Amino acid sequence: MTRRSRDSRAQGGRYLLVLVVMLAINFFLPRLMPGDPFLYLSVEDGTVSVVFSQQQIDHYKAYYGLDKPLHVQFGGYLLGLLRGDLGYSIYYNTSVTEMIFTRLPWTLFIVISSLVVSSVVGTALGAISAWHRDGMLDRILYAVMIVLSEIPSFLLGVLFLFIFAAQLKWFPLSGGRTVFATYGSVGTALGDILHHATLPVATLAVSRVGGFYLLSRNSMLTVITKDYIRTARAKGIGRRAVIIRHALKNALPPVVARIFMSLGGLFGGAVLVENVFAYPGVGRLMREAVGNRDYVLLQGIFLTITVMVLLMNWLADIVYRKLDPRVAR
Amino acid sequence: MHRRRTSLQFGMAFVALCLVVSLAGCSQKGEDTASPGQESGTSPLGPISAPAADQQTRTVAKPTVRLAGGNTGLPNPFKHSPRGPGMSKMQILYDTLLEKDEHGDIPWLAESWEVSKDGKTYTFHMRTNALWHDGQPLTAEDAAFTIGYYREHPPVVNDLLIGGSYIVTDAKALDEYTLQVTFDKVSPTYLTKIGGMRIIPKHIWEHVDDPIAFTGAGATIGSGPYKLDSYDPQQGAYRFIAFEDYWGPEPAAAAIEWIPVGDSVLAFQNGEIDLINAPADIVPSYRENPEFTVKTAHSFHSYRLMMNMDAVKALQDANVRKALVFGIDRQALVDKAARGAAMVSSQGYVLPVSPWYNKDIEQYPYDPDKAQELLGGATYTFSLLTDNSADGMKVAELIKLSLSQIGVTVNVQSVESKTRDNAVNTGKYELLLINSGGMGGDPDYLRTIYGTGGTTIKGWSDPQIASILEAQSVELDPNKRKELVYEAQKLIADQVPMIMLHGALDNFVYRPAKYDHWMFRYDHSKCDHNKLSYVIRTESEQAGQTT
Repeated sequence: MTRRSRDSRAQGGRYLLVLVVMLAINFFLPRLMPGDPFLYLSVEDGTVSVVFSQQQIDHYKAYYGLDKPLHVQFGGYLLGLLRGDLGYSIYYNTSVTEMIFTRLPWTLFIVISSLVVSSVVGTALGAISAWHRDGMLDRILYAVMIVLSEIPSFLLGVLFLFIFAAQLKWFPLSGGRTVFATYGSVGTALGDILHHATLPVATLAVSRVGGFYLLSRNSMLTVITKDYIRTARAKGIGRRAVIIRHALKNALPPVVARIFMSLGGLFGGAVLVENVFAYPGVGRLMREAVGNRDYVLLQGIFLTITVMVLLMNWLADIVYRKLDPRVAR
Repeated sequence: MHRRRTSLQFGMAFVALCLVVSLAGCSQKGEDTASPGQESGTSPLGPISAPAADQQTRTVAKPTVRLAGGNTGLPNPFKHSPRGPGMSKMQILYDTLLEKDEHGDIPWLAESWEVSKDGKTYTFHMRTNALWHDGQPLTAEDAAFTIGYYREHPPVVNDLLIGGSYIVTDAKALDEYTLQVTFDKVSPTYLTKIGGMRIIPKHIWEHVDDPIAFTGAGATIGSGPYKLDSYDPQQGAYRFIAFEDYWGPEPAAAAIEWIPVGDSVLAFQNGEIDLINAPADIVPSYRENPEFTVKTAHSFHSYRLMMNMDAVKALQDANVRKALVFGIDRQALVDKAARGAAMVSSQGYVLPVSPWYNKDIEQYPYDPDKAQELLGGATYTFSLLTDNSADGMKVAELIKLSLSQIGVTVNVQSVESKTRDNAVNTGKYELLLINSGGMGGDPDYLRTIYGTGGTTIKGWSDPQIASILEAQSVELDPNKRKELVYEAQKLIADQVPMIMLHGALDNFVYRPAKYDHWMFRYDHSKCDHNKLSYVIRTESEQAGQTT
């Protein structure tokens, strides 16, 4: 037990180290980007921009503390973080913490929903496939899943957008909810949000389902050759019960670990998918921030995503240890 | 083991459900706390909308105008994003002493004004029936307060700060509706600058120390023809509704809505939005269809080829610079790069569509023979820095092709746009291609580019041009000033300190049956940005009596 707690302490230390390194990269990377956030000399899409005078640029830099030496800025940044203050967006003139936390639920919502869908469906299909190993069903499923797991999520998103939103008009083209809608009840509000979320969630789920399928199939294939499965079948237990109670249960640990591990990757996928569907999550905010060279906002978003991914990986470690005592040894 | 798994999945499903409920709950909350105009949309998720206002718009037969949205910040003078879409939303909400129509500045909150003998003091007589969106009267006190407040807290658009100093030395309300403003010097451009200042309500802002952090009640209370009804920063959606107690011309729409759209052309085709700035290739199809109207105007932007005379000695020779202009087929840029939706620019900088344009200057028609003659057999190799936009790269390649005919080799180097913008300031380039704006309105912009202290053009200055530009900036007689501006254009065109290429035309398309009030300001080409596009104007107002 002591050894175990020492282990997890060492692991916690590693995560802390990663976090500190990430903080530093997070702070310095945007500042190494070429360009000045207040310099608008050119126009890209026929829009008009304010041209700031040097005095005004200086004023803003002083206001946002960007005129100070880098190490002073870094110190201020760390101090602010301790207070949960991520600073002010220099493009939108709004609190970054507020901007991110109003967007985060949208992203979490599609990430978690798609994870639930893809893991349940993927695992089930994997189990079925393994049971019918080398049969027709297995071969078809295997081929389809291999293809699905290789299609990038944003491409799938564009395809879905074109077919289901633009052509069939079953789902809205963009957004997270109907704009200016005033809902009569929580039910209609929920319906509206789910309707808007369907395509982004489906896109993410489909792009992830292949991974779960392959993992679950492999795991099952290993398990069903085991003696206890033969014993269970010999006892005359029904097929379904054998699969679910005996085989799947033992095949699950790697799948569950994968669920948590893939949360990190899903955040990456969500960034792209949100932009395809103009979904109001953190990913879309990130794109706006990059385009506007909004250092402060960028930093805040990167930090949030970093912390999320680290947290999920840590959680995956813990859960995996709990599920499979062999790992904790 | 089995139980743990299911509880895990239940747990995740529960978290997902909670999130849905919280998203829905927040939009519900927005509805409950509705208070039209007062709130600034700071609720965590949902926009703030007013059901009462909804019903009101339904009883009036005016249309709701819908435009492509996107988050451009809270629309007040301190917090809007520094680009056109952010700026213009704020401008619709906030009124000014003067407004701008097709021809020039027109009386707005100031009905009339007098200028003192020394030309430095302006006395404005303001309207007595103007109200703030919260019902308080708008007085000269508000205007005087605004001038003082902007001195301490610069707004995003800060026209009163020039060359590091505030141009207003004193501003006071002589009585409730008389404003007296004294400037630091005499300038023909000051009336437009003070006239364009967005007036903010004293009763709200006198209590605010940090306007950037302020989002409380009243943060968007203006005095314009529309008031903010709903702002949803996550969706990038805004709704303005007509202000019934507006002093001036009647609002032409019941409401203006900016909604998120994926593809604006598709959205316009589907009738989701009412106006687009159409790409050149699809404009002809709209022109042929009587359902649509196409309105064309110069974008007041122009592509330009900057030459770094500090870094490249050869470019210090005016003949080399002239050879480059003669050697670039600028009409080809218009036809091929801009697909015809552009106009060749003038080497005198002032655009051919401007009333200040001098047409009697060297026009530099495409003439490769003359270019070669000017080069006298010499060949050069330059690197050309451009951004990585499709348009920028097309223009750069066409320039390369043109110049190769006259023995000038161009190596195109394309970088991300902000890197290129930065190079303009640092001077790390030989030739640089950029599309910049700010070419509408008063020609005093010539002074900031070609005049004393201008840093735009590296390694070039001309005392004669600088002194003429200085003289025009204090000349109050319009005719004499015009002569000076004409003379400056001629001299600039003879020197070619910067090669002006071509400027894009905007083609706005709309359905006149739905909404037909779109107009272009004399200094701005985007009709959805102009306040007068949203009010009902009489024939005589449109014909224009300018100041």
